[in-house]
Amino acid sequence: MDDRFEYRNDREAYSAARVRALEALLIKKGIITDKTVDTVLEFFQTKMGPFNGAKIVARAWLDPTFKARLVADTPKAIAELALPAGMAGAEGEHMRAAANEPGVHNLIICTLCSCYPWPVLGLPPYWYKDPTFRSRAAREPRAVLKEFGLDIPQSIEVKVWDSSAQIRWFVVPERPAGTEGLSEAQLEALVTPESMMGVAIAKAA
Amino acid sequence: MKLQHYLGGLEGLGPVSTETRVFVESWETRIFGIHAAMMALSSQLPLPRTSSTFHTVWTWADLRKGAESLNPFDYFKYRYYEKWLGGISGYFIDKGYISADELDRLTEDYYKDPGKPLPAGGEAAIDDRVVQYLVEGDSPKRDVPVAYRFAVGDTVVVKNIPTVEHTRLPGFLRNKTGTVETVYDGAYTYLCDTGSDGIGAAMPVYCVRFDPAELWPDNAEPNFSIYADLYAHYVEAPASAAAKAA
Repeated sequence: MDDRFEYRNDREAYSAARVRALEALLIKKGIITDKTVDTVLEFFQTKMGPFNGAKIVARAWLDPTFKARLVADTPKAIAELALPAGMAGAEGEHMRAAANEPGVHNLIICTLCSCYPWPVLGLPPYWYKDPTFRSRAAREPRAVLKEFGLDIPQSIEVKVWDSSAQIRWFVVPERPAGTEGLSEAQLEALVTPESMMGVAIAKAA
Repeated sequence: MKLQHYLGGLEGLGPVSTETRVFVESWETRIFGIHAAMMALSSQLPLPRTSSTFHTVWTWADLRKGAESLNPFDYFKYRYYEKWLGGISGYFIDKGYISADELDRLTEDYYKDPGKPLPAGGEAAIDDRVVQYLVEGDSPKRDVPVAYRFAVGDTVVVKNIPTVEHTRLPGFLRNKTGTVETVYDGAYTYLCDTGSDGIGAAMPVYCVRFDPAELWPDNAEPNFSIYADLYAHYVEAPASAAAKAA
């Protein structure tokens, strides 16, 4: 018997020690600095993240002509907005938006790995990286969406986009009913990362 | 064939994870940060030189090659960032930046004393370059003359090309027929030359629509389409595919 199917019983403590040892060696050998990792993490907390995508979607809800431009030429439309520098940066050099509409629901997947539009959505959540999700969403998207609590009837067409080349995709969810009086900032708060990848829809608070 | 290339459509896996966190253990943040820094400091990028001693190439392709070379049981066994930790540590050892022994020894030290501080130091220009990479990215698009063999609405057949260590062709699409939905403007390189797999040099990319009923006869949900962005090398005209089969 080999131990292929067993984990160390100190699985997380061991990985934590190992990554700390690796970071320490990389600093000591002059590859990175003592601030590099924190610099990267701060960048994803403040500059690249789903807060940008939420602003883009809220604007699309308020301005149908912006929404049309966003779908037609995603990077150009995003550049109209006052977002942090880097909206065509790492993992967002070539982005494409798929807009939900009555009768069409879009879902973004990456069957080969975890391609994700960093500038507008930040880093991929675990569900997106899960091999089970990546396998099943390509054959039975509605069954998968149901496990996320989203019921998409057969009368609605599902479009699944597999990010296998260098294009990074996100979904523009539909504006929920009952949000007519909300401000742009209030609308942004309704836009979740899951709704911008298609495993959820935006809901009125 | 490698299972990692053929995940699309695999059955019998049970429910999906609905975990919405990006990191489920705080140590995972550190390996992500190291990976992002390596991509930014990678030697092929046209960014300002720094005092960093990193002098080799590290891109997504290198990380993916590691994941694609795993035993498929290990691929499913280990969590996302566990695979990263293994692949990235292995890279630094293989390239001679660190030794396996010193990593093991220091791991023991931090295991016994998790609060032991990290070393201090390093030139600020290194971190400036990391941020510059994140802001500017590394576009694969090239302004070169392009001949588009296919137009929107054309039927294409996905080739069954030899796979070596790395591919961007989802296995479930091999030998399948689809319809061109988008011809992307320009030509796109890939992060490395994938050898007999055939991508790397600038070439068109097509978004191709496939009918799930053809991919998985009598075994796919109705009223849905699956689209994939495919490098031009991966697709051919139906007549070419038929001539090869004859």
